[in-house]
Amino acid sequence: MTTQNKPKIGVYICHCGMNIAPKVDVEEVARYIQELDHVTVARDYKFMCSNPGQDMIINDIKELGLNRVVVASCSPRMHEKTFRNAVRTAGLNPYYFQMANIREQVSWVTKDSQEATEKAKSMVAAAVARVFFHQPLDTREVTVAKSVLVIGGGIAGMQAALTSANAGYQVSLVEREPSIGGHMAKFDKTFPTLDCAACIMTPKMVDVLQHPGITLYTWSEVEKVEGFIGNFEVTVKKKPRYVDEKKCTGCGTCMQKCPTKKILSEFNEGLSFRTAIYTPFPQAVPNVPVIDATHCRVLGQNKKCGVCAKFCETKAIDFDQKPEFVTLKIGAIITATGFQAVNPTSLEQYGYGRFPEVYTSMEFERLNNATGPTSGKVLMKNGMVPKRVAIIHCVGSRDTRHKKYCSRVCCMYSMKFAHLLREKTGAEVWEFYIDIRSPGKLYEEFYNRVQEEGVRFIRGRVAEITDMVEDPGDEGRLTVIAESTLTRRTVRVPVDMVVLSVGLEPARGSEDIGRLLGLSRDGDGWFNELHAKLAPLATPINGIFLAGCCQGPKDIPDTVAQAMGAAGEAIALLAKGIVTTQAEISRIDPDLCSGCKSCIESCTYSAIRFDEARKVAVVNEALCMGCGSCAAACPSSAAGVKHFTDKQVMGEIEALLM
Amino acid sequence: MVKSMSDDYQPKIIALVCNWCTYTAADLAGTSRLCYPSNIRMIRMMCTGMIDPKYILKAFLDGADGVFIGGCHPGDCHYINGNLKFKKRMAGIEAIISQFGFEEDRLRLRWIGASEGPEFQHNMTDFIQTIQNMGPSPAKGLMVL
Amino acid sequence: MSVYAMVKDASPTVAVKAALTKLLSQNLVDAVLVAAKSPYSALPMPTLFAEASAMDGIDPLAPAAPFNAARQAATVSRQATGKRLALVLRPCEIRALIELVKLNQCTLENVVLIGIDCLGRMENEVFLRHASALGDVTSEFQKNTSLQDDITRTCQMCEQFEPAHADIAMSTLGMAENSVLFASGSETGEALLKELGLSPAENPAQRETVTKQLREKRAACKKEVFAETSEKINSIEKFEKMIGTCLNCYNCRQACPVCYCRECVFLTDVFAARPETLLRRAQKRGSVKLPTDTTMFHLTRLSHIAHSCVGCGQCSSVCPSNIPVADIFTTVAAQVQAAYDYVPGRDVQEPIPYLIFAEKQKSGEPK
Ligand SMILES: Cc1cc2nc3c(=O)[nH]c(=O)nc-3n(C[C@H](O)[C@H](O)[C@H](O)COP(=O)(O)OP(=O)(O)OC[C@H]3O[C@@H](n4cnc5c(N)ncnc54)[C@H](O)[C@@H]3O)c2cc1C
Ligand code: SF4
Ligand code: SF4
Ligand code: SF4
Ligand code: FES
Repeated sequence: MTTQNKPKIGVYICHCGMNIAPKVDVEEVARYIQELDHVTVARDYKFMCSNPGQDMIINDIKELGLNRVVVASCSPRMHEKTFRNAVRTAGLNPYYFQMANIREQVSWVTKDSQEATEKAKSMVAAAVARVFFHQPLDTREVTVAKSVLVIGGGIAGMQAALTSANAGYQVSLVEREPSIGGHMAKFDKTFPTLDCAACIMTPKMVDVLQHPGITLYTWSEVEKVEGFIGNFEVTVKKKPRYVDEKKCTGCGTCMQKCPTKKILSEFNEGLSFRTAIYTPFPQAVPNVPVIDATHCRVLGQNKKCGVCAKFCETKAIDFDQKPEFVTLKIGAIITATGFQAVNPTSLEQYGYGRFPEVYTSMEFERLNNATGPTSGKVLMKNGMVPKRVAIIHCVGSRDTRHKKYCSRVCCMYSMKFAHLLREKTGAEVWEFYIDIRSPGKLYEEFYNRVQEEGVRFIRGRVAEITDMVEDPGDEGRLTVIAESTLTRRTVRVPVDMVVLSVGLEPARGSEDIGRLLGLSRDGDGWFNELHAKLAPLATPINGIFLAGCCQGPKDIPDTVAQAMGAAGEAIALLAKGIVTTQAEISRIDPDLCSGCKSCIESCTYSAIRFDEARKVAVVNEALCMGCGSCAAACPSSAAGVKHFTDKQVMGEIEALLM
Repeated sequence: MVKSMSDDYQPKIIALVCNWCTYTAADLAGTSRLCYPSNIRMIRMMCTGMIDPKYILKAFLDGADGVFIGGCHPGDCHYINGNLKFKKRMAGIEAIISQFGFEEDRLRLRWIGASEGPEFQHNMTDFIQTIQNMGPSPAKGLMVL
Repeated sequence: MSVYAMVKDASPTVAVKAALTKLLSQNLVDAVLVAAKSPYSALPMPTLFAEASAMDGIDPLAPAAPFNAARQAATVSRQATGKRLALVLRPCEIRALIELVKLNQCTLENVVLIGIDCLGRMENEVFLRHASALGDVTSEFQKNTSLQDDITRTCQMCEQFEPAHADIAMSTLGMAENSVLFASGSETGEALLKELGLSPAENPAQRETVTKQLREKRAACKKEVFAETSEKINSIEKFEKMIGTCLNCYNCRQACPVCYCRECVFLTDVFAARPETLLRRAQKRGSVKLPTDTTMFHLTRLSHIAHSCVGCGQCSSVCPSNIPVADIFTTVAAQVQAAYDYVPGRDVQEPIPYLIFAEKQKSGEPK
């Protein structure tokens, strides 16, 4: 690499056949440029990008000792790479090169030949002024760890883990609940095909457990993420289970014997009870119970009990377990933290929490589930079968006071419920909807089918659900009041049961995960993809991908497709094995930085960290994308993007206005 | 070239444009042979978000009659939101230079997408015309930089 | 809700001094930063006290301030030390300090902010002249309205003379002669007032009237200065003339409390002109005045700190060429701050304006 102090600049003006030359007087430009300071040679040639053209540059570098090169030809978007390579071939750093675009910006867009020549002169002179300030830059290659971290063990996380592990990579799957499975594990049937969720889900859960390439961390959370693409260092916190996973055989005796029995089951949406030592559901993976420390008599109340420990034959109970921290070297991260159903309590008009017979859709899923609290019989709290059921769409969705967006799955699962209700109970089903959204393979067909099954559809938002009845014969029932926008009449329908089709919102704690990973979230809290159309699974942070509902509401087919796609992105990265860092990235001069953090606030990619000891900002070269937001924010010019330095840009401005 | 009736004033205009959208649109205008006056001098930036106020001040004090900033449409910025960051910063720069007698329209920000060759041509023609009508920059005769 | 306490029958300096000394003697804080006379000059300098017995010369109400002490305050509160600090500051110094907190230059953790009603400060030489004639300028200044007219031009246009955001505010405006009102602005302040054993009082009704009158007078002056300055800088050529004698000494930036860069870009080689460029330009235009970056310096400094300019006037005070730097900066800053709907020092939580931008803005043209 030539790094002599005295700049010797070679300038090459391309005729581009007939594209530049007749319009621009290239010889005149060369003559003019030859006179500029530091210009050793200025030549014009028919096709600079041809081999003889490139050889001309290479020879001049070698023979005349040029240490900087300017080519005036077409757009740098076209041939910058070509000429940089030529410069590199001659043994010069490829960044000692600048291009002036005198074709797209001059000869092709200017009518007058003299004007074109003048414009070309000043642009080439500006390129000469700029290249004077160029500095040699390097790219680095970093190896990629052959491992994937998946956060969230719903259907998205499970699929992403399986696909990545099947490709031969090591996967760590972190799930914060005692079991993997996510929401889908709570369903009985899935639209539109009505296949049994458990039948497709349970084997997949077992696959995940048994796959040699997957290490499962349930009842665990991601504690810390450091590093960058290909080289993340992740700390996982394993919360104490108080049950030794290695000793437990999953016999379940402890759960039968535990005397603390009246704890509302989270898995059954509070519709049944569980014990203090529990697995959330019988098919849980892993089938190892956890002790709920708040309710346990020993751990939570300091009482004598220990019944579980007494009965456990393998002595797996360990009341002294402490959180354990595991550090992982990770190449790529897939975020699959999913969603949570909106809690409709604050939407008072629906009476949720006030009227026992108003259910959320997730509660209904459990009520309808063969392994649920009623063993799959749809029963009211009094044990009777409902005769008429109202299903209310868009609860909390498409509502300017709530979630503005459409939650995408509620219409479909509402109709799934309608079908199941008709089939199981013969009850009359009334659906109150704004409009039906069924854009998916076999979805419209499912809508038609449900209509044919006699489900009544009322188009209109529900104004209120009340326990006041008009007809004394309906005493004890609920009345749904809505305005039908089709008939423009108010309808009052007495029903036995109401199901609220609540919308989806980001899972609790998404904000923290976002902060740990440096991911931004949109106005509704979903993680932002890199590009809505062209990079829907990537994120602004290189090496971190999204799958499933954490990116936005979607159904299972879309979730699974995304999970496979995200795994594909991760696999592509790992298979290549190296990442090349960009040369045009930010650098921060620690001697100039005053530690104001303006750059940190400005960086979309969380690529700058603060060194508390020195009180200066430090760029993580692997995360930086070179956008320059930090440079523009830094008053000290401590932060600046290489190849776009103040001197380079202002040198260009100065020359253009000379 | 736009001709002024009264004198031979040739405006000098600096355009700072982002690589991904407006620069690409300029290339497209070129390949489509969409002509515009030759007074514009373009500088390729990676994103409008990297434009330091210094560059704009420098251009004006060095004698630019107008400064054009071109970036991606909101939502399309290659770096997510560099354009919005610049837009915010621009409000302050405008408030400053207007106090020193620079007419509001001498600094112009427009979003021109990569496929908008004709828009690029139209914007250049229009800006040059505006600056032409406005006359030379008040900083033109300065003896200093 | 503020809690008030009144100290009567003592000159304000005595009352204030007693209260501040007590903070140290009762170990309510570990150190106090406050303006104090030094053995070397009558000009009060920011001084850090750790011993109550050393505090005899403190003079926080003196109508002089060779520094905007926010810089010094930021130096002692650069990071939390575990010690509790009381910082006694003028309103413009508090506002500047809040800007510096936002810029991560210091922390308010374990800091007690004590503010004073500021009747203005005099230029150093004016103060020293009065000092040699009067001895105790501070006490005379509190009573003598004609002396009060000798404050700097920038102080004459300052409407924010009451200390906002202070944990404790010490007020003399609208008080009967020889009385000072202590008001708490936070729970910390309230607790301290109790510890100091000051007897509770009401906020005297006439304070409102007096401050309102003063504010009106100041506002009128500000309007005049802004109008006059706008007229003087409304073309870049006139501005050039105004700063024609600027020496590039950078005193103004050194004195500015919100110019926080460790090293100004104008001291780096970013603007260093190359000889060949200078010659070429001289050939082209006939001549080039040196240094070439004076205008650039002032405009760039505006672009860096106009939003945070608290209008303390120090830049004018230190200019060896008597350029009314503060007139220019406050006039332009008012426009920038209006454009961002931003008031420096208004709220520590309020981010520096260009660091927030409408993320969701999807619509239309930039103008
Ligand atoms: C009532 C209802 C019925 C539905 N019925 C159907 C249907 O019939 N057919 C269909 O196609 N779709 C249906 N859907 C949609 C379906 O539920 C989703 O498409 C699917 O569950 C999305 O999967 P996921 O993995 O992205 O999210 P989830 O299922 O929410 O899984 C996310 C997982 O991540 C875990 N997690 C969250 N945060 C963290 C963290 N910080 N650390 C570690 N782990 C974390 C969670 O515990 C959970 O296990 C229905 C939705 C609802 C609400
Ligand atoms: S903006 Fe500049 S001065 Fe501030 S922390 Fe970043 S690099 Fe340092
Ligand atoms: S150039 Fe952009 S991505 Fe890189 S550190 Fe600066 S703001 Fe972040
Ligand atoms: S203090 Fe005065 S002379 Fe010195 S740089 Fe500032 S304006 Fe110029
Ligand atoms: S990349 Fe075009 S404005 Fe940011």
